[in-house]
Amino acid sequence: MASLLLAILSGLIISYPFREEIPLVSTAGLEGVIPFGALFRSFHYYTAQIAFLLLVWHTVEAILTRGYERRRFFYWVFLAGAYPLFVLILFTGYIIRGDETGLSAGRIAENLTYTLPYLGNLLNRLCFSVSEDGVHRAYLSHLFFSFGLLLVLSLWHFRLRRIKLEDLALWAVLALTLALIWPPSLEPPRYTLHIKGPWFFLGIQELLRYLPPFWAGIFIPLLPVTALIFFPKAPRTCLLGLVVWHLFYFIFLGRGLLR
Amino acid sequence: MKRIVLLLGCLLLVLAIIKEIRRTRAPQVPVTTSGRVEMCLFCHQEKPAKVHAREVVGCSPCHLGNPLHLDKKLAHRGMVKNPADLRVAERTCGAPACHPEIPARVHKSLMATNRGIITTLRLYWGEISDEKEAFAENDVKALLEKKEASSLALDYYRKLCGSCHLWFEKGKYPGFLGEKGGGCVACHLVPGPREAKHPRLTRKIPLKNCVRCHNRSGRLGLTYQGLYEDEGYGTPYLEGDFGEPFLADGRFVREIPPDVHFKAGLVCVDCHLAEETMGDGRAYTHFEESVEVECTSCHGGDGTTRKGRHIKGVQREGKQLIFVTRMQGKKLPLKPPNPVKCRHSVHQRLSCQACHAPRVPQCFGCHVRKDPREKQLDKLSGRETPGTWEEFRSYQRIDTPTLGVKGEKIVILAPG
Repeated sequence: MASLLLAILSGLIISYPFREEIPLVSTAGLEGVIPFGALFRSFHYYTAQIAFLLLVWHTVEAILTRGYERRRFFYWVFLAGAYPLFVLILFTGYIIRGDETGLSAGRIAENLTYTLPYLGNLLNRLCFSVSEDGVHRAYLSHLFFSFGLLLVLSLWHFRLRRIKLEDLALWAVLALTLALIWPPSLEPPRYTLHIKGPWFFLGIQELLRYLPPFWAGIFIPLLPVTALIFFPKAPRTCLLGLVVWHLFYFIFLGRGLLR
Repeated sequence: MKRIVLLLGCLLLVLAIIKEIRRTRAPQVPVTTSGRVEMCLFCHQEKPAKVHAREVVGCSPCHLGNPLHLDKKLAHRGMVKNPADLRVAERTCGAPACHPEIPARVHKSLMATNRGIITTLRLYWGEISDEKEAFAENDVKALLEKKEASSLALDYYRKLCGSCHLWFEKGKYPGFLGEKGGGCVACHLVPGPREAKHPRLTRKIPLKNCVRCHNRSGRLGLTYQGLYEDEGYGTPYLEGDFGEPFLADGRFVREIPPDVHFKAGLVCVDCHLAEETMGDGRAYTHFEESVEVECTSCHGGDGTTRKGRHIKGVQREGKQLIFVTRMQGKKLPLKPPNPVKCRHSVHQRLSCQACHAPRVPQCFGCHVRKDPREKQLDKLSGRETPGTWEEFRSYQRIDTPTLGVKGEKIVILAPG
């Protein structure tokens, strides 16, 4: 929660000079014109990444301590549902920087959503539509879903405990360190055919080489979410499924990273 | 723990603030006329010629790097000084929006492969028995992949001829060698005005660019402009200095009457087509297979080469064919062959040069020596390897050439 809160606060700051009709000019402006723009952009990037990894850790912790037995099934389903939502937020963030790989990833995602029966067109209109609207839809969904996620998570978590200052400081220090050492990149236009998506998407990108888009881009990514949702009902089977899925996915992700 | 984290946070914050204060910042994001971000334009004020104007093209489409960063280290990552180098030309000059069809053609052209020189050398030295043997291997690109020569002829080529091809890296070596090569810019580069701080790219290739390489063997580039490579060693000395001009590589030259085309203001690319110089997509072994322009393409012809392509300079003005020179745009009348002398039945087998090349430099008694004790620069690998080659000749003269029969034609024979 602390890291997500930091990501949203820093996102608010960088959204001020950002104009979605000229995304790349805005991002380059953040990097090279606006004072502290590059720092806030890096900070925003890393706090969001850390928040996602902490969500993973939170889930693993809940599984290891059998926390799902103490929670109502509805809240567990929401935890599992937070994954596709969070991935969508990270992915739209990748698109809206507006550089070559960002926009290409957007187009790939757009084409993947079309393979989803019945809901594909609606989902594309809602989240991507990069080929028609540029980064406009992706930008709006990035903002809306981020605040939505924060709001719903807050309703649950703030009832349990308040965020401590040291939690905020810890994740801020980690994100700041990463931001200073490895600022997130911006990819210029290249006349090469190899486009690398965000790290978590590379496995899907690799799978797309071997499987039809629906299976690689929709079906396989939905498997772990489904396994997570039904974890309280059949823990052993779902755990096995999750472990096998992650082993399988990380092999492809590693292959994608090395390309 | 809480204190340590807070302290570390404050320290990092100070570091981040210092880094941000020291960061180079542009007043606004520089974009090209098409709206492409080119942060390079903030630091770099160089102005290439109009056709590659900085406001239109920017820097990164040619020089690569990352135009989205202002930080020098990040912006210059992956940058190339010479975008025209054949190693990168497919990503730069040959990019889809620019000249996409050219690099693949140039890669196969004789100026890039040097296949004619390499094949002939190996054939004469008995290393191959047929011209088609080792076709792929007899190519500069293939030789560049090896660090050392695998035969005597190849060693000789790498050390004495290895600087006259398009793969040669411009500026890699000092002196006149540094001016050679560079891929596309071996021909297309001319100096720009001092205030532009950037050389110009041109399709009006000056003679000088061609002669940087085409000045040995037949000495064509020299004779054309009225220079003869002399054995006088700069004598007679005048006022304590050499009495003759010399070339960049130190060879002395004497002035002789230039070619009539040179006097009329024509340069090599007035006659020689892009398909001859940059290749037409086919891999040839010999120069004469690639060259398609003939004297009769213009003199008596309508500007069509033997392969059916049109020579740009040949234009129709009213009922008359004229030649418009590339450099100055001078309009010249095209003189048809003499109906009596040239069309006479006894002259039918004569090539034009048999009569119209009154002076041809001829180099007799050519021989080479390899001294295994010394080391010499291998111009392909850039390393000094054992064995120094030296060239010798018995004598050289400029004279009426010997005529000989080649196929059905009587041509000039010039030992070079």
